[in-house]
Amino acid sequence: MKKILAMLAIVLITAGTAMAQDELSFERKQAIDSLALEKVRDLSKYIKIVGSKETAWSEANRVIDRAEELFMNNAEIGVSSLSSTNIKYYKVRPYFEHLMRLNYDRVEIEWYNIEYVSDLQRQPDGTYVGVITIFQTFRGYDKEGQLAYKDTTKKDITVYVKRKETQIGGRMIGFWDVLLGDMRVKETANK
Amino acid sequence: MNGKRKTENGKRLSVFCLTFALLLSIETLPLMAQSIGDVQFDEAHLYAMTKQMGQFIRRFNYEEDQFGKQINPASPDYHNQQKRQRSMAILFDQQTYGNQPDLQRFFIEDVTGNDSTFMTFLGGRWYSEVSATFKYRGRDVSIIMILGIEKEGLGSKWVLNNIYFSEFNKLFPKGEITEREKHFLHPMSHELDFMNIYKIFKEPEIIEYYASKSFEPDYLTLFFYEIKKGNLVFQNVDTVKFHVFQIKDWYFEVSWFNRSSSNSGWLISNLIYLPEKDKTELIKFYQP
Repeated sequence: MKKILAMLAIVLITAGTAMAQDELSFERKQAIDSLALEKVRDLSKYIKIVGSKETAWSEANRVIDRAEELFMNNAEIGVSSLSSTNIKYYKVRPYFEHLMRLNYDRVEIEWYNIEYVSDLQRQPDGTYVGVITIFQTFRGYDKEGQLAYKDTTKKDITVYVKRKETQIGGRMIGFWDVLLGDMRVKETANK
Repeated sequence: MNGKRKTENGKRLSVFCLTFALLLSIETLPLMAQSIGDVQFDEAHLYAMTKQMGQFIRRFNYEEDQFGKQINPASPDYHNQQKRQRSMAILFDQQTYGNQPDLQRFFIEDVTGNDSTFMTFLGGRWYSEVSATFKYRGRDVSIIMILGIEKEGLGSKWVLNNIYFSEFNKLFPKGEITEREKHFLHPMSHELDFMNIYKIFKEPEIIEYYASKSFEPDYLTLFFYEIKKGNLVFQNVDTVKFHVFQIKDWYFEVSWFNRSSSNSGWLISNLIYLPEKDKTELIKFYQP
């Protein structure tokens, strides 16, 4: 899998140099989607590790560092529940720290096998913006092993895709840089 | 690894098949629910859910198949009118339009017929209605903000087009014409150095009667003014919906349905046959 992704990145880098920035072909869009999905999958993995009560504090902090690197500066996570439309805003690190501190004896985080990727639209500065939707089920158990809390959330994650250039061996090589932005976490009625 | 992947693929295939079945026969859902596992059932619902407004547009245009897979524009399936016609019913709130199958059918036949129309993100004439809570002079009030997509620079952005706030509307009641006609400055007032102008200010609640007949209150400016003065303070977004005028001779509203059903997500909640000539006046509210 990693090999395929590495190859994909190379194709994106080399083919990207000749590609005009304003038009994304269907194939290129699919390739960029794969890169963005890889970041979202990393994020899902990090949420699971940090949420697990078996993860040591130091390890969780190391993973939070990695998670922060996935996001743009100042990205926010807006969380709401079925009972209230009020959105609670977190920065990336406090969101993960909140997850780490949840007061359950055991936590299960499962991801549904659904990833929905929007079209990419350009914002005024030319950066492409998209949204990836994923779904997660959270279960928190108390000391007696009883299910104390369960929810299914829809996570809509902003993805920024920007064309960048770097110098390799005296040649300017273009590549697509993918970063995550704001994330909206909304509880769904799918219980 | 291969074994695991096969299991995952098998699981995915079964969910696809399940979703397909759900999409084809929404009415048989309660029976199926009893025979399948919890997670798979949820997953099938989530596949069927129209998860983003962008997915609504793709499904409306048949740019993705029933499994959510994007169709290559070079493929004969892309914008395929027969498949589009068969799948479009999933975009309707069936609790409303299940009871009005004729209107739904008429719409689907019209937009997928010879004179077919598609929806485009940058095609204009579709607006977002954001209902939000603000604090107005210390108390919670609900204000509707209308946003539209505007092209700028290398791309586009959502911009505020208009707002609806009942307090503002109360300031400018549509009075009786006979009453309005009683209030004016006679045409020779200038010769008297407008000595009669004080009368305008004696009844502030109807001061606009003295304005030109073309006068229309600009609620967005009032909104900005109150925000700048600190009288209005944003609290939170309550609901979001979309108003679509882009499709020839039709208007529809798209709302979010958060429910445990395959008929969920962004769905058509209101559909009206609206000839183009009748749209102009209505659109003025969304794009003054």
